[in-house]
Amino acid sequence: MAALATSWLLAGASVARAQVTAEPAGAVVFPDPNKFARGLYTEGEIGAVAFFGKAGEVVSPGFAVGAHLGYDIFRWLALQAHVLGSTHQISDGNVLAGQLIQTYQATLEGKLTLRFGQTSIFGEGGIGVARLSTNALYALAVEPRYRVGFTAGGGAGLDYHSLSRHFSVGLRGDYLVMTNLSGSQELLATTYLRYTF
Amino acid sequence: MSGARRLALVLAAFAPLGLACQDLNTPIYFPGPVMPALVLTGMPDAMGNTPRIENGLTLQFRNPTQSEQQALDMQAATLGFMVPWIQRDHVHIEMTYQVTNTDSKDGTWSIGVDGANEFTKYDENIVAMTLGMGNNDPPQYIPLIPVTPQILKAGQTVSGTVREDDFNEAELDLYGIGEWMSPFNAVLINNSQVNPIGIANYVPPTSMYPVQPVIPALIEIDVNFTADAAMTCSYAIRVRDDDNQLLHNTTDTLFSPTPTLFVPPAMTTP
Repeated sequence: MAALATSWLLAGASVARAQVTAEPAGAVVFPDPNKFARGLYTEGEIGAVAFFGKAGEVVSPGFAVGAHLGYDIFRWLALQAHVLGSTHQISDGNVLAGQLIQTYQATLEGKLTLRFGQTSIFGEGGIGVARLSTNALYALAVEPRYRVGFTAGGGAGLDYHSLSRHFSVGLRGDYLVMTNLSGSQELLATTYLRYTF
Repeated sequence: MSGARRLALVLAAFAPLGLACQDLNTPIYFPGPVMPALVLTGMPDAMGNTPRIENGLTLQFRNPTQSEQQALDMQAATLGFMVPWIQRDHVHIEMTYQVTNTDSKDGTWSIGVDGANEFTKYDENIVAMTLGMGNNDPPQYIPLIPVTPQILKAGQTVSGTVREDDFNEAELDLYGIGEWMSPFNAVLINNSQVNPIGIANYVPPTSMYPVQPVIPALIEIDVNFTADAAMTCSYAIRVRDDDNQLLHNTTDTLFSPTPTLFVPPAMTTP
């Protein structure tokens, strides 16, 4: 009886081995980026904006809130609209010290992405308009009279997919020049949550 | 997910940012005439008085449109007295300043803010001169808005703000002085937030004169700077213009009233 049972188990193992060898030759890819949602997406972001140049001398870094609305044309190329608002305090050392000022920016951008499984890096750049909420910088002789001007620049970031098909999170940094603030630039660094429809 | 729901979700995501981008109550800043505006050497004048310097700026407003003027006229007819075009409830003023002691010694500084509404101009120098007629006492300056004198160490800088509350009080005081014959020294000393007698105390609350008249805003701000050491004072005026009355467009015409200079009754020696 024992010999019969042993031979039955060995026979079963033999069949099992035969099943394994019958699997497809290609390895299973995990995570599979093809299963990540692609197409229309939105991003909500929070972070900080700091000014450099003439504006940086009188405006402190400030808190920023923004959003992207974009579309993945290919896995590696997207077009997106970006809006960002930030609030700042006028630095010490001038007559408007402590006053608040906000910046509103809207840009159209292109974005190139290189994916490594669950993680990707991207570069982006574009042009747009920026608006200051008040004429405080004009009163300080930092900017010309007009509060609206063009802005242009780009940056890079890191995206990490959550594997839940629609969601990913990431970090980005962008550096832009501002034509309405003569000789001034800004650096924005944000963290975002992305939802791809 | 349907296309309509998807679009609604996208728009909803952008809605808070759109609201944040509205220029609600955005202030406009006016720098002082020059920067630094007021410079003192700390040397007393010929009479041995602490040196003073004054300058100011006039805010430029547009004239009312025809419909706005009609509304003002109707309101004036109802109330029974003139209603100002530039009103305290619609134009909110604040002043920021920065004082630097450029001397090698400590010094004491003070600021007095005067000004004018569209009816009356108040100048503490004129008032002091009038009160000083017939005596040899040092001049007594009574500004519309006093900034408490402070000691400033050599080489140091201090910043401060004359708040909207302070301007509100000054605007009420000037209105009482200019339009309602209120005793100027009592009005300026009284703090209406502590003792809110206001206009009601000077004008009987009859059907002709309501308790809450329409108070004009300042349209001219004059800054008197006093220091007994070499100091500079820069300032800027911040205006919140609720009804867009500041002059922006070249097609609008400049509102140019001619306020009457307030002169107190001269003190007479017995």
